[in-house]
Amino acid sequence: MNLITNDPEKVATALAALKNVYDPEIGLNVVDLGLIYEIDFFDNRNELFVSMTLTTQFCPMGESIRDNVIQTLKQTFPGYSVEVDVTFYPPWSQENISEEGLKFLNG
Amino acid sequence: MIVPSGSGNLIRNTTYKVVLPFYLYAGIAYLAATVVLLFSTPVFTGHYFHPQIAAITHIMALGWGTMIILGAGHQLVPVLIEGKLFSNTLAYLSFVTAGAGIPLLVYSFYIFNMGWLAQTGAILINAAVLSFLVNIWVSTARSKADSVHAVFVFTATLWLFITTLIGVFLVYNFTRNILPENSLYYLSLHAHIGIVGWFLLLVIGVASRLIPMFLISKYSHPKTLWIIYYLINAGLLAFIIIFFYGFSPALYLMPVAAIAAALVLFARYCYRAYKQRIRKQTDEQVKISLLAVLMMLLPILFLVVVITLLLVATNTRLVLAYGFSVFFGWLTAIVLGMTFKTLPFIVWNKVYHDKAGLGKTPNPKDLFSSRLFTVMGITYLAGFGLFIAGILLANALLLRTAALLLLLTAIFYNKNVIKVLTHKPQPL
Repeated sequence: MNLITNDPEKVATALAALKNVYDPEIGLNVVDLGLIYEIDFFDNRNELFVSMTLTTQFCPMGESIRDNVIQTLKQTFPGYSVEVDVTFYPPWSQENISEEGLKFLNG
Repeated sequence: MIVPSGSGNLIRNTTYKVVLPFYLYAGIAYLAATVVLLFSTPVFTGHYFHPQIAAITHIMALGWGTMIILGAGHQLVPVLIEGKLFSNTLAYLSFVTAGAGIPLLVYSFYIFNMGWLAQTGAILINAAVLSFLVNIWVSTARSKADSVHAVFVFTATLWLFITTLIGVFLVYNFTRNILPENSLYYLSLHAHIGIVGWFLLLVIGVASRLIPMFLISKYSHPKTLWIIYYLINAGLLAFIIIFFYGFSPALYLMPVAAIAAALVLFARYCYRAYKQRIRKQTDEQVKISLLAVLMMLLPILFLVVVITLLLVATNTRLVLAYGFSVFFGWLTAIVLGMTFKTLPFIVWNKVYHDKAGLGKTPNPKDLFSSRLFTVMGITYLAGFGLFIAGILLANALLLRTAALLLLLTAIFYNKNVIKVLTHKPQPL
């Protein structure tokens, strides 16, 4: 699915940073894995909102991946507070994986 | 359309403090079983009902298989039922009571004294199973998800409770004659409810969720899983009815056929998941788990031959090979593989959870030695194959060599488990 954003310029910086956040089991970053659904910037109140998912609900690594997303975005956008909503509607599917991600998984 | 979760979509995992003791205990039990096996190889050329064989079987079934399943179960149940584990206290209770009860029972078998020590052990084990059953029951009842995997796990735990309850009666029957027949008469009933009802149902319930997940496979077919579920339970119930009504041994082929059909369907399920995988490079841990699926067919093969020959006379070598292929075969293979797919994640979460985003952390798979894992896989397969050959040929040298290889397997396994458990955070 296509990423939703209200700021296409800033989102490129966010996605570049999030390419360093990995699902530890799969070894692929959250962007190419297609876990990020939406990133919105609210500059007037220095807030950043992320809607993301996990490959499976109650993923044992879920908390860790979410916290990693928050910390990475806080470092990339100093002074911003980051809110992350983990949703399963729509649920993640293999179709979310990017071309680069598929290349990585195909070895 | 993206629907906001509100809150509460991420439920905390079961604490590692509950889960890790089970893994450690199981590793030590496996090591103990292979040590006893090494010093008991001569008995594997005789009758299957022998104190040392009973001791080894119970170390493997309870100390190794059941303890690791209970440990992993407390961690995986939230994934399977998509909800939270009901009680950590019950989980601790199941560890303490099983942990204390298993050595008492096993030692009693070894010296073949089924007095108060064995009785206490059996009751403690039942208390552990009851704690787990209540924990799973309430956790499942509270979950909103309607998952076939959760049904497998809950039903398997019910069968485990029936198995251990029969076990208590059998232990008391040795000294008090509370049952119409002697305990040996009920051995196959006790064993098969445990093997099929507990281990087989549980392993299929969990593996059918984890294998496609680890392979990142598109394949999902709950209908097949439901057919497998009904085939196994119908087969087991048919076995119990035939047992109590004393029908011809030939009728036992009916439940065996139902279980065999379930296994073939499960093998097909795994094969389809494998074919539709997105992750093309399959790691060694998943490979050995897939191999375990094929190894499930070996005990069935032995069982068909045993039943066929039962019409003439009991063949003790085949019965021994059958039992060995269950506990040291597919059950051990799947535990060896799945330990290193689950334990590193639990420890990784413990060590690196609060270091999220502070730098590059090692991957969970870096927490154990993959080289040692491969060597372990080789010694295991060689040891298992040679031991089966040793039983069938009643060859002492083969049995001794194979037991030594299996002891090495247990040493390598424990070394790798300790490596994971003692992992210190790397500087980020």
